[in-house]
Amino acid sequence: MLAKDLFKQSLPLLILCGIGGLFTGNILAIMSPLFQSIPGLFIIVPGVIALRGNISTAFGSRLGSAYHLGFISEKDMWNDALKQNILGSILLSIIVSFILGGLAYLASIAFFTIVPHPLLLIGSVLLAGIISGVVLTFLTVGIVYLVFKRGYDPDNITGPALSTVGDIITIFTLFLSAGLMEAIL
Amino acid sequence: MTYSWKTIIRHGLPLLMFCLLIEIYAGGILQQNQTFLVKQLPVFLVSIPVINGVGGNIGSILGARLASGLHVGSIRLDPRDKQMHENVFTSILLGILTYGILAIIIYYIGTITGTTKGIELISYLTIFIGTGVFLICILSFVSVFSAFISYKRGIDPDDVVAPIVTTFGDTIGIMLLFFFLGGIMI
Repeated sequence: MLAKDLFKQSLPLLILCGIGGLFTGNILAIMSPLFQSIPGLFIIVPGVIALRGNISTAFGSRLGSAYHLGFISEKDMWNDALKQNILGSILLSIIVSFILGGLAYLASIAFFTIVPHPLLLIGSVLLAGIISGVVLTFLTVGIVYLVFKRGYDPDNITGPALSTVGDIITIFTLFLSAGLMEAIL
Repeated sequence: MTYSWKTIIRHGLPLLMFCLLIEIYAGGILQQNQTFLVKQLPVFLVSIPVINGVGGNIGSILGARLASGLHVGSIRLDPRDKQMHENVFTSILLGILTYGILAIIIYYIGTITGTTKGIELISYLTIFIGTGVFLICILSFVSVFSAFISYKRGIDPDDVVAPIVTTFGDTIGIMLLFFFLGGIMI
């Protein structure tokens, strides 16, 4: 029975991820004064959430494959394969955050007739990208390590776990970074 | 196979750039409706990550199931394939149920936090579930289409379907939400 299996296995996880989304949404509602004081900040919200999710789920799924292929194991975690992966995904988040900030700045001027403060907008995205990139990368390593130790298949767990926790952490860091940049400038 | 940070960036960047452009469009819709989302009905600001997250997840589950079916041979590359239809139909049912349960949870939490001021339960349910169900229908189509096309071209659907579905889901979800909001509230 396709329907019965799919409902039994996926519905609890979907509801859980919906409740995770509700946390993200509430952080957005709490930070709404910032949206009004930093024009253009709204434009980057879907991008920041999506990119972080894509980078860290890809990282998690590469670690899962590396585990299945025998490149890393719970006894030999901190080897070159893991270090290259960590470096790659942190650099990727920094590059992409910078491009996102720049594109959002140009798009707001060209299409939405608002002129954001370039340093404030790009700085907030970049700071949020670096902090959440580092936090999520090490969180992924932690999750994968725990999953190894218990003998589960990382492929079944890292994806949904990261997409739920990742959104909350990303929006929270964006909130902190934007607040910080506003206070500094 | 060995990992190097250079190949990770080289493989990851093109798809991420494509996602970026579409997500900035989604962000632009939010920016234009800023006053509405922040001042008038913040419950919809709270709902956006839920609508998009669940839509992306159901679309990705469908994509992964189609990919496995195509690899194993139980699903054929045919728009009339029965098992593909059954998978799509079940995903839509799963979507209706998930969105229904979440809509009620969000509304009642909203009455405690004060974000639901100015909207009745029944209007909220209609807008939220309407957006969700339309989103799932469109994303199921996107999922089948991208799984079939990528498989036909010799690309592993497992690598392609999830990023495509979640990226389109964000934009289409936000567009549908404002479409339903426009019809019912404004």
